[in-house]
Amino acid sequence: METAINPWWIIGGVLFAVLNTAAGLIWVERRMLALWQDRYGPNRAGPFGLLIVLADSIKMFFKEDWIPPFADRLVFVFAPAIVVATVLMSFTIIPVAPGVVVADFNIGLLLFLAFSSLGAYSIMLGGWASNNKYALLGAMRGAAQMITYEVFMGLSLMGVVLLSGSFNLTDIVLAQQDGWFIVPQFIGFFIFLVAGLAETHRLPFDIPESESELVAGFHTEYSGMKFGMFFIGEYMGVTLISALVTTLYFGGWLGPDFLPPIFWFLAKTFAFICLFILLRASLPRPRYDQLVEYGWKFLLPLALVNLLVTGAIRLMQ
Amino acid sequence: MIPDLLAALRSRFGNDIVEPETTRDETPTFWTPQGKVLDLLIYLKTGLSQPFSMMYDLTAHDMRAYKKDLNGHSRFDFQLVYHLFSFERNAFLRLKVGLEGEYPSHPTATHIWPSLNWYEREVYDMFGIRFEGHPRLRRILMPSNWEGHPLRKEHPARATEMGPFRLWDEKQDAEQKALQFDPAEWGLQTQSEDSDFLFLNIGPQHPGTHGVLRVILQLDGEEIVDAIPEIGFHHRGAEKMGERQSWHTYIPYTDRIDYLGGVMNNLAYLLAVEKLAGITVPPRAQTIRVMLCELFRIASHLVWYGTFAQDVGQLSPVFYMFTDREKVFSIVEAITGGRMHPNWFRIGGVAQDLPAGWDGLVRQFIEYFPRKLKEYDKMVMRNSIFKARTKGIGIFTLQEAIEWGVTGPGLRACGLEWDMRKKRPYSGYENFDFEVPVASHGDCYDRAVVRVEEMRQSLRIIDQCLKNMPEGPYKSSHPLTTPPIKKHTMQDIETLINHFLNVSWGPVIPPGEAMSCIEATKGWNGYYLLSDGNTSPYRVRVRAPSFAHMQMLPYISRGYTVADLLSILGAMDFVLADVDR
Amino acid sequence: MNLAFNIAAVIAIVCTVMVVTRYNIMHALLYLVTSFMAVAVIFFTYGAPFIAALELIVYAGAIMVLMVFVIMMLNLGGGSAAQEKQWLSLRVWVFPAILSLILLGELIWLIYSEQYIGSEQIKVVDTKEVAVALYGPYVVAVELSAMLLMAGIVGAYHLGRQRKKIVHRFLERSNP
Repeated sequence: METAINPWWIIGGVLFAVLNTAAGLIWVERRMLALWQDRYGPNRAGPFGLLIVLADSIKMFFKEDWIPPFADRLVFVFAPAIVVATVLMSFTIIPVAPGVVVADFNIGLLLFLAFSSLGAYSIMLGGWASNNKYALLGAMRGAAQMITYEVFMGLSLMGVVLLSGSFNLTDIVLAQQDGWFIVPQFIGFFIFLVAGLAETHRLPFDIPESESELVAGFHTEYSGMKFGMFFIGEYMGVTLISALVTTLYFGGWLGPDFLPPIFWFLAKTFAFICLFILLRASLPRPRYDQLVEYGWKFLLPLALVNLLVTGAIRLMQ
Repeated sequence: MIPDLLAALRSRFGNDIVEPETTRDETPTFWTPQGKVLDLLIYLKTGLSQPFSMMYDLTAHDMRAYKKDLNGHSRFDFQLVYHLFSFERNAFLRLKVGLEGEYPSHPTATHIWPSLNWYEREVYDMFGIRFEGHPRLRRILMPSNWEGHPLRKEHPARATEMGPFRLWDEKQDAEQKALQFDPAEWGLQTQSEDSDFLFLNIGPQHPGTHGVLRVILQLDGEEIVDAIPEIGFHHRGAEKMGERQSWHTYIPYTDRIDYLGGVMNNLAYLLAVEKLAGITVPPRAQTIRVMLCELFRIASHLVWYGTFAQDVGQLSPVFYMFTDREKVFSIVEAITGGRMHPNWFRIGGVAQDLPAGWDGLVRQFIEYFPRKLKEYDKMVMRNSIFKARTKGIGIFTLQEAIEWGVTGPGLRACGLEWDMRKKRPYSGYENFDFEVPVASHGDCYDRAVVRVEEMRQSLRIIDQCLKNMPEGPYKSSHPLTTPPIKKHTMQDIETLINHFLNVSWGPVIPPGEAMSCIEATKGWNGYYLLSDGNTSPYRVRVRAPSFAHMQMLPYISRGYTVADLLSILGAMDFVLADVDR
Repeated sequence: MNLAFNIAAVIAIVCTVMVVTRYNIMHALLYLVTSFMAVAVIFFTYGAPFIAALELIVYAGAIMVLMVFVIMMLNLGGGSAAQEKQWLSLRVWVFPAILSLILLGELIWLIYSEQYIGSEQIKVVDTKEVAVALYGPYVVAVELSAMLLMAGIVGAYHLGRQRKKIVHRFLERSNP
């Protein structure tokens, strides 16, 4: 697809939008949680408490950036950067509107899988480099969880690939003009959503952090902006998975003509971000072995069956 | 029953081995010489047809300063007091052993009841009485480098008796060093045949321990091999404080033992005091007490409900439940003026009569709350992840529960329908119609089921209080009622002096001993008071349910994972102040 | 010869050297991951985006994660670093290093010599072609490797299975 817009504008725009969304989610999440939990949430700084974003960022920038003396310095500093870098790289493949995409790869979806598997390093290395038992336990849980859920995250996406015949996300969106993939690929959507939750380690899949057991899990020793990177990385992950769900199963920018395509994309993405927050507000956290078992014994076979059936139907057509 | 038991024991052990004593609370009390006590305990636990299967409490008294006559018994320097309970007989049994010497020693009975482990450590810590053969006799509540044994009479009770506190660097280092954990000291292996164990220190500052509890876990991967709960961080010496407070001014201290139970603690203490003083509480006061206790039971269970859900990772319920707890507190506030620690019950009654309009508030709550409970059932109890996290976790059987001294909802979750309010009614509970919820598996989920149902039953009791609140005085007309009733004064100099002394010194409670046992929010809570006829107790013993429950933690968490430990801790519903006192 | 290739190649070489020379095994593994990524870039620039993605997903993402996972649990402290240092004496590494340098020189010479194809001749092999090749002419190899992997998984499961050492007290009693 030809892009009429200068690619630098697109890169700048996506970067700007993603970073601001992630920061804005600080406010959105707190207000949403508060709404569902019968309380106010941040409402003092600025209109509707919006300036909490600013206050929070200032706080994180000015906190003492402490590196524990027992930590592995190099890796400790390096780990938070990985999560931000990999998630940001994944945004390059997402078409926001017709022609507005940073990199129109024909292996787009594979690139996302590659980066998400690299993202596991940030948790593992962060936990390991902290040289703290809680962090190590968190890192081990995180690694096991990510490995488990990556396997069928890839498999769940293949249904969409089979239907659209392409790894390119723009093609996938265009293939949904006759109907969103949520209908034929509902199982795939469900599995991808679960795997996406696990990849971003949000509640109910936050066992690498599991506050009530492991204090803060893999980032127990982190503070200041290094913690901020994990924090923002998580929100960017949420945004990424929401954007991907939108693109893969809900027709991306497609929607009635009375509003510009980009609006539809953003609205759908935002709806999924809210779903993520709602899940966080309502579900308890399963145990680590239950989670892994659920992955291997339920979701993996389900993903395989889904793939098989989709393939068979595709062949018959 | 007492003559039967006495005859049975005497025929087996001989006349001079078992010596009965009459106490004010009419609990069967036997004296036995030190050499025979183990045999006697074994016989009481296993030999009788209706055995005393639960070791309810073990404590000691430092009798060296007791100046009053001891009911005809010779005085020892120290006396150990075992409290046993028999479910078949529905009776307590008090067994006393006299010890002589400055730092006496006594054979351990931990092999008879595993639950005695911590109790013996506590007695050692507090009195310096050594238990021969105890597996690990070390301090439990006080820091390991503490000097002296606090509940001995020569130990200072006030900071001003101890000289100013200074923390030198050396001292701080020594204190820090004392907190270092050494596996060998606890007899723990550091490695198995093919892997090293991980020692994970949970607490004293940890989001999952609900207070200053330290648990040291011996882990194989994420599986718990052993756990060592270290308590005492919240120890405030409530028992020692009782010895220098007047009978009246000790009431606010009891509020803070189980700080979620509020006036429930007052009740346990006052029942014992009133037994000693021989006060009968008028029905209105009793009903007011019951109503407030049940309100506090709901408040306490709500805190447990919310934090338990949070322990297994559910973020929201705790907010809803604290909101509802706030509603309970608004009633409590309207009636008592206080919230968490109202300090509102008095010797012989309550502090004030109910305010005008109290019934409206209570009625509103009774109408409002069942709907919310139903909602919480849907949100928490029927949530499949919640079930997966709690079903089959932290199981103990009924026999184990009795062995370890588990009481309250934990006991009922094992299937034993035993509620002190029903079985040994106090404060007029016999007049109320309610059910005792039970469950059968004894796991974390069942403990939750029992507590949730208990809230409904509490609501029923409150409803009955509302409908049948008796008329009459809100405190007894007994002369020892505190504060004394004003209208009895101003008649002659005698009544004036009596009133004046009772207000300024507080009441003088006649000598003797009495124990109370109530079904508190977390289990059986009891106060065992010893008076030497003074304005303050000679000895206050607080038997807190959480202490016994906490002791069981290593036993029931072995083989589970770290995540399960949080479920177990959450379902245990302990309050650190209740454990440490 | 494009710039991306040169940069990626230099990174790959430097990282691989670092992998060999690091005493801290975790750092060595990190360099290995980086070198995989550099190799992925090289694949990408030379028209094999599918292989590039697989290099990242399988090697850098999955296999190395497992390696790091294992190393993390072994709790190798300063002792092992010292041991590494001891092992890595001059006598041990100098000869293989010279051989590797010769190979490297050869490679550079090949790449920059005339025989080597230029970037304009690169044909992009997309996913479909890879798939057609795999399930067409090479289907026997795919099936064989699938069977081998299956056997490997079963074997690993069998070897990795161990009796639970820390059992609940109820289970202890039933099978002593």
